[in-house]
Amino acid sequence: MTDAALPARPHRKARRMRQTALVYLFLVPGMMVFGAFILWPLVASEWYSLLDWSGFDANPVFVGLANYRELLGDSYFWDAFRRSFIFMLATVPAQMAISLVLAVMLNDKLLKLSSLYRTLIFLPVVTPVAVIGIVMTLMLSPFNGPVNMALLDWGLTQRTIDFLGSPRLVLWTLAVIYIWKWVGVTMVYWLAALQTVPAELFEAARLDGVTGRQVTMYIVLPMIAPFAVVIALISAISAMNVFPLVQAMTQGGPFYSSEVMEVYIFRTAFASAAGTVPRLGYASAAGVFFGLSIMVLTVFQILALRQARRQGGDQ
Amino acid sequence: MPDITTMNRRTFLAGTTALGALGITGAARAQDITIPAPIADIPTDAPMRWIDTGDQKAVFYRDFFARYTAERGVDVVYDGLPWSELNTVVPLGIRNGTAQDAFVLPSSVPPAFAVRDGWVQPYDGLIPDLEAWKGNFPDGSFIEGLNVFEGKTYGVPYTSALVSGAHLLFNRDMMANAGFDPEAQPLTWDGFREAARKITESAGGRAYGFIIGGAQVGRWSEVVRTLGQMAGAACGKVSIAAGVDFRTGKVIWNADEFVAAVELLLAMNDDGSVFPGSLSMTAPQARAFMPQGAAGMILQGPWNIPVWERENPDFNFGIAPPPAPEGATGKIITGELAEPGNTMFINAKAKNPLAVADVVHYLGTVEGQTAWANVVGPSDPPLFPEALERSSMSKRSTAVLSMFRDIVRVGPNPFARNPELSEVAKAYVEPTPSLASTVQGLFAGQLTGVRENLDILTEATEAALDKAFDEARANGANVSRDDMVFPNWDPARNYVAADYAEL
Repeated sequence: MTDAALPARPHRKARRMRQTALVYLFLVPGMMVFGAFILWPLVASEWYSLLDWSGFDANPVFVGLANYRELLGDSYFWDAFRRSFIFMLATVPAQMAISLVLAVMLNDKLLKLSSLYRTLIFLPVVTPVAVIGIVMTLMLSPFNGPVNMALLDWGLTQRTIDFLGSPRLVLWTLAVIYIWKWVGVTMVYWLAALQTVPAELFEAARLDGVTGRQVTMYIVLPMIAPFAVVIALISAISAMNVFPLVQAMTQGGPFYSSEVMEVYIFRTAFASAAGTVPRLGYASAAGVFFGLSIMVLTVFQILALRQARRQGGDQ
Repeated sequence: MPDITTMNRRTFLAGTTALGALGITGAARAQDITIPAPIADIPTDAPMRWIDTGDQKAVFYRDFFARYTAERGVDVVYDGLPWSELNTVVPLGIRNGTAQDAFVLPSSVPPAFAVRDGWVQPYDGLIPDLEAWKGNFPDGSFIEGLNVFEGKTYGVPYTSALVSGAHLLFNRDMMANAGFDPEAQPLTWDGFREAARKITESAGGRAYGFIIGGAQVGRWSEVVRTLGQMAGAACGKVSIAAGVDFRTGKVIWNADEFVAAVELLLAMNDDGSVFPGSLSMTAPQARAFMPQGAAGMILQGPWNIPVWERENPDFNFGIAPPPAPEGATGKIITGELAEPGNTMFINAKAKNPLAVADVVHYLGTVEGQTAWANVVGPSDPPLFPEALERSSMSKRSTAVLSMFRDIVRVGPNPFARNPELSEVAKAYVEPTPSLASTVQGLFAGQLTGVRENLDILTEATEAALDKAFDEARANGANVSRDDMVFPNWDPARNYVAADYAEL
């Protein structure tokens, strides 16, 4: 170290401090938004879940864990809870598989009009759920709905099918619509993952006379496998947040057969049909319980991700 | 090939004529709204904010408030929101101190509760000669425990509750082809089923006899309650009074009339007369199929009439009472004469309470009521009978309101008898499944056994009521299940102040 460098130290320290302060300053808006819209509601719902409270009564009553005890004995809560997980298990693997196939196809440099296909696949993602709700209700209508008309014309059914009015079909119908709407996002994740596969590998494989299928099976898929855990995690959490779609299309019906957790929470918190007082405390308990369940799921997935990374490192 | 130039000219002429006619009609309507002299010096330094459930009311208020602002110099902010949003916006506003100056109470908040918790302030002292002005209203508009508390007037109603949300609206041509004329002879249940079957058969799959917006769960309770009441079952409508026969104080959802009403709907479904997809459509979606000729009958409210007349002027439809079994003389029961959902309250922290009182005062005059009737029509009919006579509503609209006077009766209101029942309402948790969900479940095939399920519902509702009463008593409220018993109630006539006094 030279003598000339010595006087610069305080300057550097001050500059670093200024930079650090600037970083924190830039973080403030984000933190404020995070605090107001994520942290505060999170903490508040935990507190509300311990109250017998309608949401507007000036004197909420502290009831401890009574809401949770009631929740555990509520069969409609467990049904909604089960449905949410069934929905997730039905949609995530299908969504990931379909989007992966699409991504691999669109990643092929030889494919013409790939930008157009990407846009078309991504279009439902940016379409408002309310619009999708209306359009899909018309498409699936048993009265002159194009889907039913096509099924009849092709002889696949003898009578029209009430996709959204049948308790047996409604959840699966919603699952298909959900996959169609969101497959574009998952496809983008996969496309990003595919960008990480070095071009030299493709070149080497080509020189070795490897077929396209073999490239996919033995080069691409193993290399993007670690991303699958992250994509699965994001997709699983998204599949738990289906309130707008379900509310727009079935409102949880008929007779609760498409009532997933978010719709259950909304119903108990705000949407009593007979004008009875809402139960914000009880709904909060359901929300907290469900949130914790998702958190447990997330922890498992993070552990799986670490495991995948470790295995990737071993290789 | 048509001469495009000529066509354009014709179209232009037709368009300008239509616009001219519309302008004349609009002007005629606008001229009906004359802002009267103010009731006092209205402050102009603070805006007046007003919230209600919008819809056709919003059409009136947007025009009225524009004129009011021009006349008085008071800025008005009007919000018309659906119930689902109003139910959360108003309580949040009260908590945050940002609630509007004037509001209707959320459907789950009894007026006694709002008064007790200091949400609202009385009109006393704001409207001059309040009692004389209230004297213009029909008897039964102001009732202690509903909108008057300890002699002070907190809520002012201005629309009638003598409305059915499930009367018959039908396609006249289809009905005539089926051999029925409900306007001359109201349909019996057998006739209703038969007409639906015949309409369906003659349409050969292009139309169905009956349609219902069954995804909107409340439609099921509205229709079944109406059919059951027309058959002779008599009970309350909402909150802790829902399903309670006030003669005994007991819940009667499993009465023969309600069981038969549900069975009627299921039988029509078995006949294939119900529009396919009814379980997955909302009430507005169902309503939209009627003018298209896709369904022959619907049980809904009078709000359809102005919409269809305006948007589908060629649609030949009629109105009639809800079907009833042969010889039945039942009535539809409502909790009060004046519609609580259109009763305006003044925020206790209102920035411009005088402006609210000024507007409400106008709405409580024959002129205001007439102007209201001309714009809002039968969906929220005016409270003053004179306004109905003076209004320029369509023939169908006046006919439907006249019909309601025959088939709707004001029943007892337990809250008017004991305002402390608001504590019970606060503690009451509606059983799951409710009447609405139970009927939907039966229709969807998720539940089987009409009587068995209505028995379960009745038992659950009784238990929920008992629990709520116990809880309210534990919190110090002086209430009893006897508060729901009105031995002098005759469902065939309106329950009036003298009847309360007799108890």
